[in-house]
Amino acid sequence: MNPATHVQNLVWNSIWNAINLGLILIDDQGVVVLWNDWVSEHSGITEKQAVGQTLESLFTDGLGASFKIAMQNALTYKLPVVLSSILHRSPLPLYPLPCTRKKQQARIHQSVSLTPIITPDGTHQCLIQITDTSVSFTREHMLKLHSKQLSIDATTDGLTGAYNRRYFNERFKAEFGRVNRQGTPLALLMLDIDYFKDYNDFYGHPAGDRVLIRIVELMKSQLNRTTDVVTRYGGEEFAILLPDCELEGARAVAQKIQHAMLKLNIPHAKSNAAGRVTLSIGIATHSVNSNCDAHLLLNTADTALYTAKHEGRNRIRYLLTQNEMSKDTAYLIDAGL
Amino acid sequence: MISLSELHTDALCEIFNIGAGRAASSLSEIIGEEVQLSVPHVQIFPSSEIQAQKLPLDSARVGAVRQHFSGPFDAIAMLLFTEERALEIVRDMMGSHVSLAELAEFEQDAMCELGNIILNACLSAMADLLGLTLQSTLPQYTVDSPEFLLQNITGEIDQPVMMALHIDLTIEKRQTQGCLVFLLSTSSLKEFLSHIDAFITGI
Repeated sequence: MNPATHVQNLVWNSIWNAINLGLILIDDQGVVVLWNDWVSEHSGITEKQAVGQTLESLFTDGLGASFKIAMQNALTYKLPVVLSSILHRSPLPLYPLPCTRKKQQARIHQSVSLTPIITPDGTHQCLIQITDTSVSFTREHMLKLHSKQLSIDATTDGLTGAYNRRYFNERFKAEFGRVNRQGTPLALLMLDIDYFKDYNDFYGHPAGDRVLIRIVELMKSQLNRTTDVVTRYGGEEFAILLPDCELEGARAVAQKIQHAMLKLNIPHAKSNAAGRVTLSIGIATHSVNSNCDAHLLLNTADTALYTAKHEGRNRIRYLLTQNEMSKDTAYLIDAGL
Repeated sequence: MISLSELHTDALCEIFNIGAGRAASSLSEIIGEEVQLSVPHVQIFPSSEIQAQKLPLDSARVGAVRQHFSGPFDAIAMLLFTEERALEIVRDMMGSHVSLAELAEFEQDAMCELGNIILNACLSAMADLLGLTLQSTLPQYTVDSPEFLLQNITGEIDQPVMMALHIDLTIEKRQTQGCLVFLLSTSSLKEFLSHIDAFITGI
């Protein structure tokens, strides 16, 4: 070898080992020809141990099935193959530094590509490149956690943990659309704490906050289905969406909540409705035949709530939403209290 | 102008469907779900008709995986799906627990692999049946308008001809249409067809 070529080879060798990427060169029989420092460090197998061996014999603790197939394909058809980290994660037993090769050490996430190479003498070899994608996986995981927290924050009420008005608006629209598409009914309950301003004035805001929290807990505990939604609609006003639920079901839920309120028995010295904290509840329902839009359903439930308040509070009222019904169709529901 | 005989079209469909079968079994192994892949239709377009409207892609933006291959004939192979479809496919491949937003980071990686599997399967079927060896570059993934993608590659080829294959891909019972486009020079197409002729005669 002439001295210039020798120097050039040393330079190439240094570059090969300096690259921050795993590089393995195998011949057409799958035998290792070259093995760079990156691979040595992350596998715990030196170049000296590796050269002349097959990858199967070197990585006795597990060469992914997908990697074996990819290598076979690359060697047979001389076509380049990529293995994405998202679909394969860790095809080769390579570990973070310091590499201990112990079973409990988790493999690094990898993105692998296999490129066939034709040497000057016409034989085929295959270059395996391994990129460590652990950093982007960690980043992705962190972003996912953050985004989950943000979406919780954006849709829930910080004090009570109930869904907020923004969530209600979206969900209400979606559930309303479902009625028209799937023909299932929808019930809406609007609930308001009676004389809550007087409660706050008399017992103080921290006590008022505790009442709000306890009432949300109570409402959630009275709902059995995961599709039922409790939202804090305003200060002391709540809305409950009951998908696939008709008047009978909605009334049963409202009555259960009233009974639970009675049992909870939070004293309220300034209430004219009872000596304890009580709720007024308005109900409206919608079915595919009820000729109603989302705005009208919401208004109807609100009017039902207003009627309950107007008639003395601590009661449940239901109003029909149909446009054709006249004003005097307020149906009184005996809460049984 | 070069046109395909019925025999040519049949032979091409056969070759690509064998490739599609191989790709489907590789994909099934990775995903652990049944994957069906078929190529129902092959068409050739002369240079003047290389337009995005000729492709069954109803979208302003498409995801394209592209490999340049060479051998007895040279071509640029490009697998195209509409952008939304591409995301859905990747999501199906990774399992439905992955959200679309989360996909962005891995979309490129996973689409490259999907395209690589389908393109390699078609190229290897071609190599096996036509008895030849092909080389190829690593796959590249780009998202752009179909017009731009076609313009971009036709500029690289002398007297280009486009061979377009419709692709039906079904993962987890969800069906997706895409297309596989080969852009070849007229002389490469002639060379390719002479191999097809030899294959037909050999049957």
